[in-house]
Amino acid sequence: MTATTNRPAPGPITPPAKPNLLYRPEFRQAVYQVLLVVCLLFAFWTIANNVADNLARQNIASGFGFWNRTSGFDISQSLIPYSNQSTYGQAFWAGLLNTLLVAVIGIVFATVLGFLVGIGRLSSNWLIARICGAYVELLRNVPLLLQLFFWYFAVLKNLPGPRQSIALPFGASLNVRGLYLPAPVPEPGFGAVLTALGIGIVLSIAVAIWARRRQRATGERFPVLWTTLALVLLLPGAVYIALGQPLSFQYPVLRGFNFQGGIAVLPELMALLVGLSTYTASFIAEIVRAGIAGVPRGQREAANALGLSSGLTMRLVILPQALRIIIPPLTSQYLNLTKNSSLAVAIGYPDFVSVFTGTVLNQTGQAVEVILLTMLVFLTISLITSAFMNWFNKHIALVER
Amino acid sequence: MKPATKLLAAAAAVLVGTAGAASAQTLDKVKKQGNLSCGVNVGLAGFSAPDDKGNWTGLDADYCRAVAAAVLGDATKVRFVPTTAKERFTALQSGEIDVLIRNTTWTLGRDSSLGLSFVGTNYYDGQGMMVKKSLGVKSATELSGATVCVQTGTTTELNLADYFRVNKLDYKPVVFEKADETLTAYQAGRCDVYTTDASGLYAQRLQLQNPDEHIVLPEIISKEPLGPSVRQGDSQWFTIVRWVHFALLNAEEAGITKANVDQMLNSTNPDIRRILGKEGEFGKGIGLGSDWAYQIIKQVGNYGEIFDKNVGAGSRINIARGQNNLWSKGGLQYAPPIR
Amino acid sequence: MADTSRQQLRRAHGAAGAIVLSGVHKWYGEFHVLRDINLTVKDGEKIVICGPSGSGKSTLIRCINRLEEHQQGQIVVDGIELTSDLRNIDKIRAEVGMVFQSFNLFPHLTVLDNLCLAPVWVKKKSRAEAEKTARMYLERVKIPEQALKYPGQLSGGQQQRVAIARALCMNPNIMLFDEPTSALDPEMIKEVLDVMIELANSGMTMMCVTHEMAFARSVADRVIFMDRGEIVEMAPPGEFFSNPKSDRTKHFLSQILNH
Repeated sequence: MTATTNRPAPGPITPPAKPNLLYRPEFRQAVYQVLLVVCLLFAFWTIANNVADNLARQNIASGFGFWNRTSGFDISQSLIPYSNQSTYGQAFWAGLLNTLLVAVIGIVFATVLGFLVGIGRLSSNWLIARICGAYVELLRNVPLLLQLFFWYFAVLKNLPGPRQSIALPFGASLNVRGLYLPAPVPEPGFGAVLTALGIGIVLSIAVAIWARRRQRATGERFPVLWTTLALVLLLPGAVYIALGQPLSFQYPVLRGFNFQGGIAVLPELMALLVGLSTYTASFIAEIVRAGIAGVPRGQREAANALGLSSGLTMRLVILPQALRIIIPPLTSQYLNLTKNSSLAVAIGYPDFVSVFTGTVLNQTGQAVEVILLTMLVFLTISLITSAFMNWFNKHIALVER
Repeated sequence: MKPATKLLAAAAAVLVGTAGAASAQTLDKVKKQGNLSCGVNVGLAGFSAPDDKGNWTGLDADYCRAVAAAVLGDATKVRFVPTTAKERFTALQSGEIDVLIRNTTWTLGRDSSLGLSFVGTNYYDGQGMMVKKSLGVKSATELSGATVCVQTGTTTELNLADYFRVNKLDYKPVVFEKADETLTAYQAGRCDVYTTDASGLYAQRLQLQNPDEHIVLPEIISKEPLGPSVRQGDSQWFTIVRWVHFALLNAEEAGITKANVDQMLNSTNPDIRRILGKEGEFGKGIGLGSDWAYQIIKQVGNYGEIFDKNVGAGSRINIARGQNNLWSKGGLQYAPPIR
Repeated sequence: MADTSRQQLRRAHGAAGAIVLSGVHKWYGEFHVLRDINLTVKDGEKIVICGPSGSGKSTLIRCINRLEEHQQGQIVVDGIELTSDLRNIDKIRAEVGMVFQSFNLFPHLTVLDNLCLAPVWVKKKSRAEAEKTARMYLERVKIPEQALKYPGQLSGGQQQRVAIARALCMNPNIMLFDEPTSALDPEMIKEVLDVMIELANSGMTMMCVTHEMAFARSVADRVIFMDRGEIVEMAPPGEFFSNPKSDRTKHFLSQILNH
């Protein structure tokens, strides 16, 4: 079709007349936003006022004055100095650190185990695939609380009393009260060993980088793993021996009712870690399996046709693509593990919920404040975890396009 | 109005409307509901525990029944609400239960900052410790370095810390939420010592596989006056629950029992006549019928009967009356007169 | 030098061509996909395989680099017999390049990384050398400017040309094509066929499953028609198209040529 002849001559472009302010979409949107914020603020203010009023009327103490008061109770495991003369605030931190300890170690265990089981489930080895399958079905279909009870009471029932402890190598011993490890006590000169260890780590990182560059340049591969092991273990080891072994160990000794000295790992912690990580690993395994299965078959075939071995195919082609599918649900499993750690209270591990939302709440009776702080803590942990995973996910997604 | 504005107005109305939580009269509420919501222990033999037919039994459970008998004229009109040590105060504060009768220790802290009032002491207790006989321990002072199993959210946890600190002894606590798990862990050897109120120790020792292998140490390390509590700010309800307790004591003192209460109606003793509502209008004064105390005794019994049946000589637990005997028999239980 | 040793190897095996299939059978469960396939492909020969879907033609070429396993008969590629011996499979895969219908580029790697991956990790070449070869082949398939893009940013035709370059980077003696143009929009088919024709003219041994009959006519030394797992007819293109012997071939040709 040709253009019509009556087309007006192209003149200077005049902007279309702006409509009345009231009818402009951007103005309206702004007004609604402001209204919403005002309403929300009003709602929060009303609720807060309401709660404060009601608490005052019912003669229930309120406010955060309890934070600096003496707690008067003890905690069986604390990463910071804590006694019954410490404050509720210190109890808060002691509990929080205990929860984080379980969460971090649990996440590491669960991830490693989950990936192994997930990949194992796809193995062409019939036995391995079946064992991994059975593991997943069993673990994820039994309620976690039951599993915790199982681990805890099964462990307790089968371990001997402190006087019949099982002696382990290096002066460690295991009994119903926990795993007792010798505590290292550094002596003068030990700093040099640590320095050597530091140098070893730095050198092995350097070797890793150099090996990578060399592979890009010449194609030759370098045994990085062995060099790293040698640098990290042998170098400080040599310094240690050269300086006359400047480290002594404080061994746990049976005195009175229990072992004293050394590092004690509580059976509650062991049971909780085993329970949480094996349970979460069963979900992670499924996520990993789905992620790997979600990578098109053609990718594996193309890699095979190029002559890549199955290990290299997994590492260079399948896993990098599967990770994009795996990471979002993996994040929620990490959060689940952290939240599930609050079941610790059932088996006597002093986690945050047990110490703060349990004991502190009860001794102060200030449910509103304590619950509020508890929610805040879990919200913060969740937000930090998901922020990190989002960043990581974006990092991986960027490689994609 | 535009829909959005309407919605906002409605939301605001709801929020403002919720201001001023229910501090309605508990008595009216209970009468209207037709039953009493009574907070009890999830399971402590002798105080409140469901039997094999699911009926709640125990000293505290019978106190719930006594309140229901006085207020509603029917001891069966109780809704038992099992609460853990952790949940109990919140349940009362929030109005979920009308009265908390759950072997709860009366302390100044709880009276002053939790918005609740204790009406009296229905059981004078003290904290004790149980150990395996095989440890060869004869006194709590020999327990330095011991591991102790204890239940969370209790005065017990604080007393324990105090006792060991004052006596300069070292210990490791292991804290559980529920009594069952605490006891299981103790039995599995996780702890050397199990500590709780002495009454609980005697009751729970019976649950162990071999009760005779465990002994309760002689030291009582604290005062634990256990009693019912109600929300503050409802003095009528406070008075009712308190006088239900006193009526149980007065009935025992006057010799009125479940069996003889009907005969006693014809008694000429003015004390008995006043208790049973034959003289004076004391029931009306607290908002109840004049036969309120009669109903309690007729349907539940007097304090001595309840004690015997649940924790005393008539029960498996078999705890001596001791401090819980009437003042007139060398104990601490003393009720002001109905007059 | 490598070629001469391969020649010797082939002579030692007494094999008569680059690919020798004799009496090859394969079943998927009850389904007999390949029935008694006998075929010898000579060095530098170009074979086009056509046939209706489900006739076993893709399965046939996928057996040649062991993406599928045959159950009976013998397959010898470049003098190496395909058995379940993993070393043989690896050797053959390094000799044989393959191009798929759906390209199967690695979406998480750039075009250049796609091309360098196998040379670096399998052939242990240096990155610089691998990149040099890669750029050379990108030049040859006429998309040198796309080296640093990701596969998702390319058109289908460009992706398939990258896939061909990726296979060539391994310096194969034999190239297998499994319906390389079937997933492409019509306007992109030509650019891919042009690359394949150029490759054919360079003397590469090729086996190609395709329905592009014009390509078959101009490039193929022999055309094979397969149906129900059998080789029904095999002839030079002139003869194949002008004078097919089997009724099944005639019927098939009438269907694909008359639309």
